[in-house]
Order: sequence, then structure tokens, then C-alpha cells
Amino acid sequence: MSKNWNLITAPLRKANPVTVLILGICSALAVTAKLKPAIVMALSVTVVTGLSNFIISLLRKGIPAKIRIIVQLIVVATLVILVDQFLKAFMYDVSKQLSVFVGLIITNCIVMGRLEAFAMAHKPWESLLDGLGNGLGYGSILVIVAFCRELFGSGTLLGYQVIPQGLYDFGYINNGLMILPPMALIIIGIIIWLQKPEEDRK
Amino acid sequence: MNDRYIFRYIIILVIVVSVLLSAAAMWLQPYQKRNQENEKRINILKAAGIKDVNNDNAEALFAQHCTAQQDGELPMYIIDNQTTVIPMQGNGLWGPIWGYIAVAADGKTVVGAVFDHKSETPGLGAEITTEGYQKQFSGKTMVKKGETVSVEVDAIAGATRTSKGVENMIEQTLQKYIPYFESHE
Repeated sequence: MSKNWNLITAPLRKANPVTVLILGICSALAVTAKLKPAIVMALSVTVVTGLSNFIISLLRKGIPAKIRIIVQLIVVATLVILVDQFLKAFMYDVSKQLSVFVGLIITNCIVMGRLEAFAMAHKPWESLLDGLGNGLGYGSILVIVAFCRELFGSGTLLGYQVIPQGLYDFGYINNGLMILPPMALIIIGIIIWLQKPEEDRK
Repeated sequence: MNDRYIFRYIIILVIVVSVLLSAAAMWLQPYQKRNQENEKRINILKAAGIKDVNNDNAEALFAQHCTAQQDGELPMYIIDNQTTVIPMQGNGLWGPIWGYIAVAADGKTVVGAVFDHKSETPGLGAEITTEGYQKQFSGKTMVKKGETVSVEVDAIAGATRTSKGVENMIEQTLQKYIPYFESHE
């Protein structure tokens, strides 16, 4: 139980794919200007990492070693296409904002990394948890970054105005830099900076 | 794990995957199509200055406001019997751009315009989709420019090619409609 629980919680903090392994940075910069696309992206990646880990783990004994990367790619690509089609059908506006980045989940190092490093050598249930954990670890950083960027960049959260008009009357202005990609990198840097000493102490 | 096994394995895998994807595509296509059509309706209504259109009410509002529609050589949508909305297609810097321009009954005043793009640079060319840029078109009078008419707005700094693309798209599209506007003056 505690070992399985660890599979989910470890990627959230001490083995976080974004802040510790520094993977998946590209999409973390691109989709975090607003909270809503970031949440959808986080869920999409979680679904893909979880299910691809599960499926590859089920197939792991039959996969011919010579073509295992190809098999992994086929599984991942199928799942990503399904997610993409699903978003286009039921969350059209978000899928337009995410544009190519849903398709680019295929190339997200976290997905392939977990397949090679974990799913090929572990049982399906554990692999599913590991995949979900890594997806959530990635997603949690996305949501934190998007929270900061939308709050300070647009004064809104999920599209709702949260910074009161009174503050603007006092001369407060939204930070335009927050909307641009470099700020996402800086926020991720700050998160790493805050997290590192705490992890080192343990 | 000989070659025959690998061959069989991959063929079965690919067949399973393609069946799965085809089934998903067939199931989801009607929803996707509806979204695309609604997007078109939303853009047309937005160009004509109708506010608060979203995916849920687009179909009803479009049926309510769009009084006539013409396809073929000169495609256009007449909104509320007075505004003519004209679809446009052109080229930006990296790929196609498109949009709708709404012209008032006098054939001279622009009611509004919306633009969209496939792959313009975010923060530069992609700014043509923002309200700030599109708002400039509302209330502008079309000016004669050689053979055609144009609308004068501020270009986007740093996105010269995209701005030029929008300009060309508007001029080339409106040129075809000059006889139509003249006959309606």
C-alpha cells in the first residue's frame, strides 16, 4: 500500500518530472498563460502517461525488444490522437488554445521516459499509478505556473476577474511580461529554487 | 523472437490501432463538425457587431439574425437585413489567414471585422485575433485605393508581413464586391 502510494506521491515532489528531472519544459512554457488550458493540458498528459504506462506494461512481455520504441510510440500516438479528437469534439475553445501542444504530448519526454524506465519492467497496476503520478506531477507545476501567470498577467482566474477594480483605480496594472513565455521559465526557476533546499535537507 | 514474430506483432498492433482510431473518428466527427460550423457562425455574428455569442447559443442567434445568405462567386451573409458580412481568405507570414468583414447598408462603413490564422507568431502576427486589433475596424470608412477599396488601421509593430497580409486580403476580397456595393448605394 505505502509503496504504491509512493508511486503517486514521489513524482509530485522529490521526483517531479518538471522541477527535478527538468522534462516537459517546452509545453510548460507554452500553455500556461491561462489557467484553463493549463488544467486541460495537465489532465490530458495525466491520461496519456497513465494509460500508456498501463498498456505498455500489459504488453511488456510480448513486445519484441528490437522494435519496442516503435510499439511504445504507436501506443502513445494513438492515445494522444484520441485525446486530441475528444477535446476537439467536446472542448473546442480549449483545444484551439492548446493547438499543436496536444499533438506534441507524443514527444513529451515524460511519457516515453516513464515507458522505458518503468512500464517495461513493472506490473500494470504499479505502472498505471506511476504514470498517473508523473502526469499529476507535471500537471501540478503547470497549474501553479498558470495560476501565477493568469493572476498577475491578466488579473483573472479561469476567466473570472479576481483583482478588484479598486486596485486598478489606485494605479495597479497587469504585468504584461507575465503573459509572455519567458516569465513561465522564471516562475519554474523560482519553484525549483524554493523546492531544492527543502529536498536537500531530507 | 524471430523476424516473423516481430512482423506479425506489428501488423496486428497497427490493425487494432487503426480500427480503434477510425471508430473514434466516426463517433466524434458530428460533434467536431458542429463546433466548426458554430465557430463560423460566431465569427460572422461577431463581425456584424452582435455581442455575447458563444458555442451554445450560436445556432439560435444565427438563425435569428441571418436573414439571407449567398454562396458562389460572391459569398455573403446578410445580418438583420442591413449588414453584409463577407468572408475573406489570405496569406500571413507563415500560413493562411482568414476572417470576416461586415459592411453597413451604405456600402462604405465597416461595422466590424474578425480575423483568425493558422500559424502566425504568438505575440506578433497572432495579435490579429485580439479584440484590440479588430476593434480598430469598427466604424471606419472604406477608402478608395487604385482599383480597389481599403480600410486604414494601425498595423502591428513587429508583424509587418502579417499586417500586410491582412491588408492584401481585405483589398483583394473587397475589390470583387465593388459592383455589389455600388448597386446598393
